Amino acid sequence: MSHADTIPFHSSSQSDIDEIENLINSDALSATVSAARPPSPPRASFSSAALPPPYQKVPRSSSLPLPPPPVTPSAAAPRPGGGVAADGFGSPPDTLTEPVLDTVKRDLTRIVSNLKLVVFPNPFREDPGKALRDWDLWGPFFFIIFLGLTLSWSASVKKSEVFAVAFAVLAAGAVILTLNVLLLGGRIIFFQSLSLLGYCLFPLDIGALICSLKNNVVIKIVVASITLAWSSWAAYPFMSAAVDPRRKALALYPVFLMYVSVGFLIVAID
Amino acid sequence: MDPVQPTGENYANPKTCFFHVLFKAAALAFYILSAIFIDSFVIIFVVTVFLAALDFWVVKNVSGRILVGLRWWNEIDEQGESVWKFECLDQESLARMNKKDSWLFWWTLYLTAVAWIFLGIFSLIRFQADYLLVVGVCLTLSIANIVGFTKCRKDAKKQIQQFATQTIASRFTSSLQSAFSVV
Repeated sequence: MSHADTIPFHSSSQSDIDEIENLINSDALSATVSAARPPSPPRASFSSAALPPPYQKVPRSSSLPLPPPPVTPSAAAPRPGGGVAADGFGSPPDTLTEPVLDTVKRDLTRIVSNLKLVVFPNPFREDPGKALRDWDLWGPFFFIIFLGLTLSWSASVKKSEVFAVAFAVLAAGAVILTLNVLLLGGRIIFFQSLSLLGYCLFPLDIGALICSLKNNVVIKIVVASITLAWSSWAAYPFMSAAVDPRRKALALYPVFLMYVSVGFLIVAID
Repeated sequence: MDPVQPTGENYANPKTCFFHVLFKAAALAFYILSAIFIDSFVIIFVVTVFLAALDFWVVKNVSGRILVGLRWWNEIDEQGESVWKFECLDQESLARMNKKDSWLFWWTLYLTAVAWIFLGIFSLIRFQADYLLVVGVCLTLSIANIVGFTKCRKDAKKQIQQFATQTIASRFTSSLQSAFSVV
């Protein structure tokens, strides 16, 4: 699920996309087999890290020839199209055999970059509506679980209920808020919005962590309000960019309400 | 997880098959057995859902590619539209895929979903809403993988057909051309 990116890691998936386009556009008339094409530069460093297994060396003589590289999206880093292998599967010699650790690292990098994009102030952030294109649900998953665990841990009674309620409210809340935006005529993609709302839980995670350590009510209220303001601030540009300006408040108020209720949960737990 | 040279008889990628089944079985086993041993719902929830999520990731990113040569993902293009991409190996590699591998892949995929449905029915009967939540999450993950790979396979078949008709058409026209050029 990666998009055009300047991070070299992503270029392997990006060249898969080129590979697919080649597959679709391939001209079966010309039976010429393209000779072993040199790997595109960002991939060269990547492929050298992966061990090529003997299995991949089987000559693919009848594989689809690759036409001239398709025009890449303007936001992408310049890259010779066509990927590496001539076997129509994108980059199997590399990502197929890439050590699992590499895939994990790639996903983790994406989580961190999404987090930075959404939650932290970033003056160089491009149009917010397009910023979270590289959505993933792993970050939100970890944040929801972490929030549930923290709330459950700091509860002295009914730990299981607290966890279940927190998880259900956050998950269902994210889905309902997304539906709300869609029904208001907003232009946002379902998973993108889920991903965004999940990432915006990060400040509340921090708030819950701090509140679980200190039991003073006043400190808890202060911390909870700061973190929920931060969460709402983080969600604001994306949500408001997605809907009609006259309906901004209708889209944003429920989000704010949800974060306020989570804030209450954090403060009320003792 | 380096794939071994396919023998055509045994599993070609035993390690991948093992991992493919491992997390699914672990999630199911943990969920079923935990009711006996563990008191805390939170632990049951977190561990089961975590195992199910790991399984989802392994199937989507690793075993899908190695065992059946299929891959699917979602992208958002420049216009902000969501695009689902499906990818498959070319036909000759697909034909070379080990039959046992793909049999295991598809059957375990379907069986896990059915197992979760059964467990869901049990917890529904017992009015345990929180366990239903666990089952719901795991079921969603299994179904997402099933839908993704089934669509991918259909797409692959369609592409193979298109490719086949194109090749036949091109061969036909080229033989016609050569026949006429001789004349």
